[in-house]
Amino acid sequence: MFKAIVSAETLTSALDSVSVLVDECKIHLEEDGLEIRAVDPANVGMVDLSLDASAFESYDADGGLIGVDLSRLEDIAGMAESGQLIQLELDEETRKLHIQIEGLEYTLALIDPDSIRQEPDIPDLDLPAEVILEGKDVNRSVKAADMVSDHIALGVDEGEEFFYVDAEGDTDDVHLELTQGDLIDLQVGPAHSLFSLDYLKDMNKAIPSDTEVTLHLGEEFPVKIYFGFAEGQGQVTYMLAPRIQSD
Amino acid sequence: MEFATFADRAAAIEAEPADLEIVARVSDLLSDANSDLEVVARFVQGRVFPAWDSTTLDIGPSTCYEAIARAAGPNVGGDDVEERLAEVGEIGAVAAAYDFGGQRGLGAFTGGGGGDESGENGNGGDLTVNEVAETLADLAATEGSGSQDRKVDLLFGLFNRCSSEEARYLARLVLSEMRIGVGEGTVRDAIGEAFDVPTDRVQRALQVSNNYGQVARVARDEGIDGLDAMDLEVGRPVQAMLAQAGTVTEALEEWDEAAVEWKYDGARIQLHHRVDGDGESETSVFSRNMEDVTAALPEVVEYAARTLEESAILDGEVVAIDADGSPLPFQEVLKRFRRKHDVAKAREDVTVRPVFFDCLHADGDDLLAEPLTARHDRLESLLAADSDSEPDPDPADVEGLSLLWLTDDPEEIEAIDADALESGHEGIMLKDPDSTYSPGRRGKHWRKRKPDVETLDCIVTGAEWGEGRRATFLGTFELSVRAGDAGDDLETVGKVATGITDEKLEALTELLEPHIAAEDGQTVDLEPAVVFEVGYEEIQTSPTYSSGYALRFPRFQGVRSDKEPADANSLERVERLRDRQ
Repeated sequence: MFKAIVSAETLTSALDSVSVLVDECKIHLEEDGLEIRAVDPANVGMVDLSLDASAFESYDADGGLIGVDLSRLEDIAGMAESGQLIQLELDEETRKLHIQIEGLEYTLALIDPDSIRQEPDIPDLDLPAEVILEGKDVNRSVKAADMVSDHIALGVDEGEEFFYVDAEGDTDDVHLELTQGDLIDLQVGPAHSLFSLDYLKDMNKAIPSDTEVTLHLGEEFPVKIYFGFAEGQGQVTYMLAPRIQSD
Repeated sequence: MEFATFADRAAAIEAEPADLEIVARVSDLLSDANSDLEVVARFVQGRVFPAWDSTTLDIGPSTCYEAIARAAGPNVGGDDVEERLAEVGEIGAVAAAYDFGGQRGLGAFTGGGGGDESGENGNGGDLTVNEVAETLADLAATEGSGSQDRKVDLLFGLFNRCSSEEARYLARLVLSEMRIGVGEGTVRDAIGEAFDVPTDRVQRALQVSNNYGQVARVARDEGIDGLDAMDLEVGRPVQAMLAQAGTVTEALEEWDEAAVEWKYDGARIQLHHRVDGDGESETSVFSRNMEDVTAALPEVVEYAARTLEESAILDGEVVAIDADGSPLPFQEVLKRFRRKHDVAKAREDVTVRPVFFDCLHADGDDLLAEPLTARHDRLESLLAADSDSEPDPDPADVEGLSLLWLTDDPEEIEAIDADALESGHEGIMLKDPDSTYSPGRRGKHWRKRKPDVETLDCIVTGAEWGEGRRATFLGTFELSVRAGDAGDDLETVGKVATGITDEKLEALTELLEPHIAAEDGQTVDLEPAVVFEVGYEEIQTSPTYSSGYALRFPRFQGVRSDKEPADANSLERVERLRDRQ
């Protein structure tokens, strides 16, 4: 059993943050909210999303599991105007999701969850450095690095106590430093890892510029990127594996 | 089987110059393939999907370059890969030269480590042949907006796990450039050798199933009995039997009789029509390359629905026709053949109609091993079943049936050829009436009459008034070539009467009538004025004509309005061409 009413903005934010990594996903319809975990085909980038029941206008679920085609669902959500509500109801018999937006009714065929890539185990990482910054600074860092390279190094200078972004291109380089004053918070620790912008750019698309973003970093370790949406009632954690640095 | 093992074996096969050794190595590879046998049997030929399956990866080379670039490392772009390709000339070598695996996977950071399957980089560990096949199948199934990006992601995931040798063969496989010297015959022989079954039985099973993977597995698991039990399946295309070039003379020398059919200027099709128990039917149409072209040819589907009452596999052509039903050139068929969108509109512009000349399967019976004449009889009764007005209709009245004449008379063959040409078709096919249907074989049992290699420019020196409908037309043109030291004598070499439509006869009559020198009944002498280009099958010595030679099966090709009689070919040239035969 699943029946919920949610604002178009909230649903769209949730779907967009998953669809940057995968086309299809499983959605757990838990009693206290929605849970999505997915990993890209190369097992490099992962998303762990939860949307609390309190983020919905109304929410009623008892622990089911459905598989959805994300772009299809995003298209439907896109039919709603800002401020409109979307009603979702699962038909257990036909395994279809009935979606209602004002007078518009859409019946979405679901995907067999077993045909969808297995959900990832979430690495239990103890990452030494923590950087809390505004979404717009993440956006800016990624954009700057993308001008010169297809990879980005993220690190923390323990001595001078600042967070930095490096990108080395064939000819041009980018270096960006954000000190304690520029950041919301910084816990210094040994951290320097190289990441593919192919993934980070996609993840960045889902990060709102006015949100508080927490980065956890280590030496040659994955980066963990955490941010909230829907007034904190939705949480997204991305994890991205590093590229081995050749030099 | 690990993909690394496959890559090593492929490298060894590629390095092996001797055909027999290649077969032996492929045979070993198949023996060791275990549960991946079907995939290995395809991969070794550079195929990702079975031959009958028209699924494709649907990726351009640039998608593959992009994926290689991403796996290759920071700041390598698709352009760099393309540049190297231009230098090296072969994608396998380009891929092998990069160092992959720099991108780590999250698997390296899960759990306490140790003993997991994810390999040291955590990106999934050693690739297996089956994983490659499954990922490529996922890739082929990816569609819609952003699908090219998703395809790059999937391919990147594979390349990122590749050693240099694996990358070489993965890149080639993806771009259909395997080229390790393993053709279909090699795999056939290797299946026989690996699983100790006779090659001819393997061959037959391949012909009916068109699936190397399945045949290899059946040969291994079920042996000869399993292979022999494999049958044609309605809905699964097989390769078409092909013809080689030939002449009437050769055909009549080798066979007691020749089966003669019109050769249509169309596109080859294979029709699969399935009728199930409650009379519902389903039709698929495949091209010569086994592509599914059903949607592009609704006329053929409609034809099958109204004509066929039993399940069948038919071999034929679709021809384009104009409003009067006259055939249009091949290019017009092509406009329809590959069309995916707006079929209904295309249909308004060009109509097609099917013509069938062979029957591979009818109502549960495989007919490949039956002689041509028996297959054609079956075809005729299948197609005539609908003509319920008459119990035994004239074959010529059966819609969609290509007629077949049995004859040993060259004159009759010539007449059939003339009719075919006059109806606007390409000419004739000559077939061995006793031959079986061999899918994919280009053999001497089917011959398309050789296009005329050489033509002669002859002077028209005589003609005959036609009869009946053609009484006002000149026809049966007497042909002469120049002779004598000065080249101004004329000697006859034959008469051409075939290959000319009524329309052309009318125009030729108009052209020649002013040059009539004398008339005697139907026979007309002409002043040397007009030059014909004439094709022929061969030049024979003959007492019939004053030159001492005769053109065998002469065919009118056109008027050389650019040539004067003085420019026509000479007897010397006729002799030279004859010597070269």
